[in-house]
Amino acid sequence: MPVVLIVAFSAVIPLMTVVNYSVQDILDFNSRFYVGLDWYRETLNDPRFLEAFLRQLGFSFTVLLIEVPLGIAVARGIPKTGRFTSPILILLAIPLLIPWNVVATIWQMFARPDIGLLGVAVNAMGISYNYTAEPMHAWLTLVAMDVWHWTSLVALLAFAGLSAIPNPFYQAAELDGASKWQVFRYVELPRLRGVLVIAILLRLMDSFMIYTEPFVLTGGGPGNTTTFLSQYLTTMAVGQFDLGPAAAFSVIYFLFILLFCWLFYTSVMVRRDES
Amino acid sequence: MAQISLDNLSFRYPGATADTLSGLNLEVAHAEAHALLGASGAGKTTLLNLLSGLLVPTGGALRMNGRDVSALPGRARDVAQVFQFPVLYESLSVADNLAFPLKTRGVSRAEIAERTAYICEELQITALREKKPHALSLFEKQLVAVGKALVRPDVSLVLLDEPLTAVEPKIKWRLRQTLRKVQADLQVTMIYVTHDQTEALTFADKVSVLTTGGILQTGTPEEVYAAPSHEFVGHFVGSPGMNFLPSKVVGVSQGERVGFRAEWASLSQQSALSDGAVQGLVTRIRIQGTRAGLPYGLVTVATEHGELSVRGELSLGGEKELVVGDSVAIHVHKYVAFEAQHKVGEGELV
Repeated sequence: MPVVLIVAFSAVIPLMTVVNYSVQDILDFNSRFYVGLDWYRETLNDPRFLEAFLRQLGFSFTVLLIEVPLGIAVARGIPKTGRFTSPILILLAIPLLIPWNVVATIWQMFARPDIGLLGVAVNAMGISYNYTAEPMHAWLTLVAMDVWHWTSLVALLAFAGLSAIPNPFYQAAELDGASKWQVFRYVELPRLRGVLVIAILLRLMDSFMIYTEPFVLTGGGPGNTTTFLSQYLTTMAVGQFDLGPAAAFSVIYFLFILLFCWLFYTSVMVRRDES
Repeated sequence: MAQISLDNLSFRYPGATADTLSGLNLEVAHAEAHALLGASGAGKTTLLNLLSGLLVPTGGALRMNGRDVSALPGRARDVAQVFQFPVLYESLSVADNLAFPLKTRGVSRAEIAERTAYICEELQITALREKKPHALSLFEKQLVAVGKALVRPDVSLVLLDEPLTAVEPKIKWRLRQTLRKVQADLQVTMIYVTHDQTEALTFADKVSVLTTGGILQTGTPEEVYAAPSHEFVGHFVGSPGMNFLPSKVVGVSQGERVGFRAEWASLSQQSALSDGAVQGLVTRIRIQGTRAGLPYGLVTVATEHGELSVRGELSLGGEKELVVGDSVAIHVHKYVAFEAQHKVGEGELV
């Protein structure tokens, strides 16, 4: 009961405030007009909103597609026992502990074509790399940064899942003559299901809300080629102080994330019931 | 099916100061059901892992059908194992689980279908073929695991690591019976590891009693029960274990101690110190049934030489019913004599 009260206070009430704003036109504190669903209609028809949304989708799915298999592969490479296990786990945890704007600053310098290690190296290979000027380079750098930042999370979760598999399962597979691929597919993957659901849900939600890293690295540029949903929303709410549309935008944003997570979760649960 | 030989087999874990197993010698005949009986820490699991190829012996050799397989990996040995809990592929159906060891060895579809059908018939799990493991009971899952171990027609040896552990007590006997039947039908060489001597004695053709580092005795269940070659065997096997008394007390000249089974002694009224009878007080009576209409069971008697157990009619001279607190005399009729814990003889007394 106390938990419910705390959640209600810290989550539901602010949410209701935002919903309240989203159906009003706020010019300043004293002049507010009820406008119904106008802001919702305007946002959903805004071409810049749709562009940001598509960019966001593209980014989230690209990042998921790389991080999940890579994380699992890394987890499989960590020795389950021995003196190297702890140092490796600590090394993997480090990217997760760095403040997000610091991550972006590191990569900002790392990717600089004049003095950054990555920038200089790529340019030396003959590719004229410049993430501030080329949209494609900006995207690639952003994806690389996110992969560097978050793959460890998937890896650590997957490692915990793998460590929970009792040895007899591997022994039996060895006696059955199973190949390495068959061991992965029939022993490890089924038992990683729970862990993977958590990892994918976390990465899906987090990447959909991503703000600090792209903002610090590219500022949404060049132009608005890396302006994702959250940045567009912030510009509207904080930059332009357009609270009404911003609130509507927030509610839509929130509902989208909720929808994706629900879709993913039910599809996994349905598959489990079927089996 | 295979004949297994342990030839002076030793194993020491890396970094350990002493051998876990040293100088083990054992012969398991083709199609024999062999039980490895031992307390925890005796090295049963180590021996099992040496047989399955998980560990490589540090001394001696392991032979299957004469061939030295000590260094061969598990998958090359034609060995299968049943574990303490059902180890199955959770995402595959029962039929696919059974087919797996055959598929990995490139057996044809037709042969796989035929063989899995035969195994299902033998274990009476045909009705479960299309189900997934999570829909089965523990007993059914363990049956599938046994089926999976037997499915390859060329499997040399099936190892069982306390397979009844996870199954509910009421159903243990069913699994045990199934194992026995299947072993006989398929003529499979089985090595069954357990710490439960009831399981060992009821399942096996031959029993080896294992203690820290070595095998104390290998023999038929009858031999191990009635003619233990070491005091530990006498004590560990049987429920209750053997009673021990100094030889002089029972009037035996052989060895320092004699061991006798609970049913090799009888009780009578306490009399003036007669030769060979041990006096004591009844501390516990456990009825186990009736014989010729009279209650029959296990009586625990406290004597100056420790607690002794006697199995027989729960009355003195067929008339007075035994109660806790009665003074009784124990008469030993049959015994095994031990010197420095080793058997030196056996005999009978009037």
